Amino acid sequence: MSRGPAPRIRALRVGLALACAGLAAGCGAPTATVAVTRPPAVTGSLSTSLTTAQGTWAIAVMGGSAASHDNFWQLFVRRADAGRWSMVTPEGVADNGGLVAAGGNGSLVVGFRPSQELAYSPLATSTDAGLNWTPGLLDAALADTPGAIAVGPSGRTLALLQDGTIEAAPTAGDAAAGRWVPLATLTALAASAPGRSCGLEGVSAVSFGPDHNPIAAGTCARPGAAGVFTDVGGTWRSAGLTLPTGGPGRGTVRVLGLTAIPGGNAALLATGDGLLAAWWDGTRWTVSAPVTADGVRALGFGPGGSAWLLGGGRAETIAGAGSTWRALPPVPAGTAVLAPGTGESYDALAVAGSRLTVWRLAREAWGKVQQISVPVQYGSSG
Amino acid sequence: MPGMNSGLSPGDPTLVAAFRSALLHQGAIALIMLVFLWLLWAAARTWRPAASPGTGGATAEARARWLLRTGFGVLWIFDGILQAQPKMAGGLATQVMEPIAASSPGWVQHLVNWGGTAWSYHPVQAGAASVWIQVGIGTWLIVAVRGPWSRLAGAASVTWGLIVWVFGESFGGIFAPGLSWLTGAPGAVLIYVVAGALIALPEGAWRVPRTGRLLLAGLGLFFVAMAVLQAWSKPGTLSGMVAEMARTPQPRFLSSLLSGFASFATRYGVAVNLVVVIALAAMGAAFLTGRPRLVRYAMWSGIVFCLADWVLVQDLGVLGGLGTDPNSMIPLIVLFSAGYLALTPAVHEAEAPARAAEAKRPGARSVAAAGALALILLGAAPMAAAAVNRTADPILALAISGDSTRLNIPAPDFSLTDQNGRTVSLASLRGKVVLMTFLDPVCTSDCPIIAQEFKQTGQMLGAQAANVELVAVVANPTYRSTAFTRAFDRQEGLTTVPDWLYLTGSLGQLGAVWRHYGVAVENLPAGAMAAHNDLAVVIDPAGRIRQELSSDPGPATSSTRSSFSVLLGQYAKQALRQS
Repeated sequence: MSRGPAPRIRALRVGLALACAGLAAGCGAPTATVAVTRPPAVTGSLSTSLTTAQGTWAIAVMGGSAASHDNFWQLFVRRADAGRWSMVTPEGVADNGGLVAAGGNGSLVVGFRPSQELAYSPLATSTDAGLNWTPGLLDAALADTPGAIAVGPSGRTLALLQDGTIEAAPTAGDAAAGRWVPLATLTALAASAPGRSCGLEGVSAVSFGPDHNPIAAGTCARPGAAGVFTDVGGTWRSAGLTLPTGGPGRGTVRVLGLTAIPGGNAALLATGDGLLAAWWDGTRWTVSAPVTADGVRALGFGPGGSAWLLGGGRAETIAGAGSTWRALPPVPAGTAVLAPGTGESYDALAVAGSRLTVWRLAREAWGKVQQISVPVQYGSSG
Repeated sequence: MPGMNSGLSPGDPTLVAAFRSALLHQGAIALIMLVFLWLLWAAARTWRPAASPGTGGATAEARARWLLRTGFGVLWIFDGILQAQPKMAGGLATQVMEPIAASSPGWVQHLVNWGGTAWSYHPVQAGAASVWIQVGIGTWLIVAVRGPWSRLAGAASVTWGLIVWVFGESFGGIFAPGLSWLTGAPGAVLIYVVAGALIALPEGAWRVPRTGRLLLAGLGLFFVAMAVLQAWSKPGTLSGMVAEMARTPQPRFLSSLLSGFASFATRYGVAVNLVVVIALAAMGAAFLTGRPRLVRYAMWSGIVFCLADWVLVQDLGVLGGLGTDPNSMIPLIVLFSAGYLALTPAVHEAEAPARAAEAKRPGARSVAAAGALALILLGAAPMAAAAVNRTADPILALAISGDSTRLNIPAPDFSLTDQNGRTVSLASLRGKVVLMTFLDPVCTSDCPIIAQEFKQTGQMLGAQAANVELVAVVANPTYRSTAFTRAFDRQEGLTTVPDWLYLTGSLGQLGAVWRHYGVAVENLPAGAMAAHNDLAVVIDPAGRIRQELSSDPGPATSSTRSSFSVLLGQYAKQALRQS
């Protein structure tokens, strides 16, 4: 029969335990009375979709390998006149580092992020919905964000680099020939009046505004300040997006996505209260109510300022300025990206190794419409 | 760890063959040296006959010293033989040094990496050097019985032992967590170092019991400290280690024995640990008393205990193809037994008249010691020469690419555009050796590495580089404009390399060059890199292809990159000589 410890020893143990608990509690107690709320954890991903005049494009990583050099990013298109998806990944460059795409001026520009020994970003441009590609060159590393490239109506192209520098190519031909000029560095942007005002920490997306001026967006240290800046005649100015500190903008604000829409821009922001969409018409901003952002791992924009986000088996969409977030039915397993379809319909592109399955939302249910077997070149980048 | 890893398999047949060949060559040289020394000694003996038995004033060597000298001499020779195992040249740095250092602090890893890098750059020379140095030290200890030669052998043992202890054993793991006497702490070779230091003592020191008492006191303190350390060990650590050792390739009965003990230690971990702690503490206390009777009991118990640990925990230490020594228990047994003998020198010395007579042939012993020293130099000299050279042995490149093909055929001419927009034909490069390869400017793996190898070749060639043109032809059907060749040059730091040409042209022009040189280039779907075979050709100043080799950089470690550069440089020099 086992016996418990003597009462004196037991008392000593209890005392010690209490002392330890007290110490532990003391160690864990907050020392500051004010804490800045950080934006929720949103896993950065290049998986996204976008819509151009040529069709709807989607980018997803495939391969299913634990080794990054055996996972390859793929570009798919659902052409404007077709209901089916095709793989149109540009050839000639290993894209294990990721793909970034932007549409405009009747073309789609794709940038290859560096990987392994490659330190700069080749580009590929298509004007025929991915049937043919023209090589281009950015002699620097493209940033790891879906908004790292923007193409203006005139063909002027912006590229956000890994170090936060923004470069510009005046025409599509310049972009192809690698003739880029620096537009702003992160340091210069942070030192500008609006950059200082918001405490700019980093740039995450570039675009063109309604007046075709370059726009840069990022993360600000000052609570409630959204870092969206526009370049007017060589001077960076705030685009005027400020969120009330007590409301949805509480805490720091991170711009996750930015795109040009007819007559303005749309942005997706991560704030202390969640993820929200914002629309700019050139003079004022409209901001949506927040939606829970935890677990979000992919997001993108559709036509007319619509947007979507995906994470943890759930998907939310918003139709445009003045509308509210709508939860879609739970997405099929393996869904990597959503792509807007006709009306309020969406396609869910699910990845399993080298197989892509397209599910289409109809009458509040997902139905399988297509399967693509991608010839992933395992071992080719090892 | 950077640098240490050659990336090649320890059993790579090219490396193994080169290692075996080096050992055979050096063995033949050693044999010739020994025969020469023997002849020299025989001639000297004829000229000046050896002292007859019974003359001279030589006294017998103390028995304790004899045990240390011969015991550790045999151990060094045995370790040297282990170093001759086929996988040792290619595997010691990655399979032995690196894993041992992995759990040590950063500064230890940094230091070990420095040594491991030297090994991985010259695996054959380093492997062979270890064999001859250890066999040489062992032989030297055995044959040099008396006098300065013998004490010098002890000092050599200390020096080499410290090198092995630091680089090969990462200081015996004393800075790493989980230190345990059972598994070899504080490093088997540290015991060799202690023994070497004792052998290097003046011989008079062995004629008084004080040396024995001090040695045993030191060992006693060591055992007590190890007992304390063992008492703090985490439960389950021992059984985990033994189970791990059981997975080493070895005879089944041994692995069964180890697995059985691992299960036992898992079930009765606390009891096993308690027994070990008590045994270590008891041995330590007995040695500390310095009383011969107690020490004798402790010695015999220690021998049994250490042998049990050697079999059940250390798994003999020599199995698996990469065992470098029998671990710590055997040398420890020799050391504390010598301590016991040193405690009672008078008794044993009286029983040693035979060895006294043996010691009266100093001439033969000196010649043999000189032979042993020559063996050490035979290993150390090529390694020292290789270590001074900061480039790697070309054997690594040969192991990756296979033997190059010697040719003597005209190089197909072409006319392409260089990175600066100038037209360059192969014919315009006549008079120079052309090292030519095919590179994809947007390649993510091999091409940048091959470019670095070419760049390094140019640097290695020194003044001769002026007679060598480093040429790459674009190997990508899509990304092939001069904008890309220039971007690649900037990425790889090739813009300032003299005589570097990165040539491109229309798809038709490039296609013709690829076809003529047997390079298959094609785009692959689904985000893959354009495929092409890695090829390098050496074209002599007369425009004839002299060598063709696969330039696939393999594991692309710093040593293999350097190795390829050396190989390409050698071929360039050959082509220059042939012109």
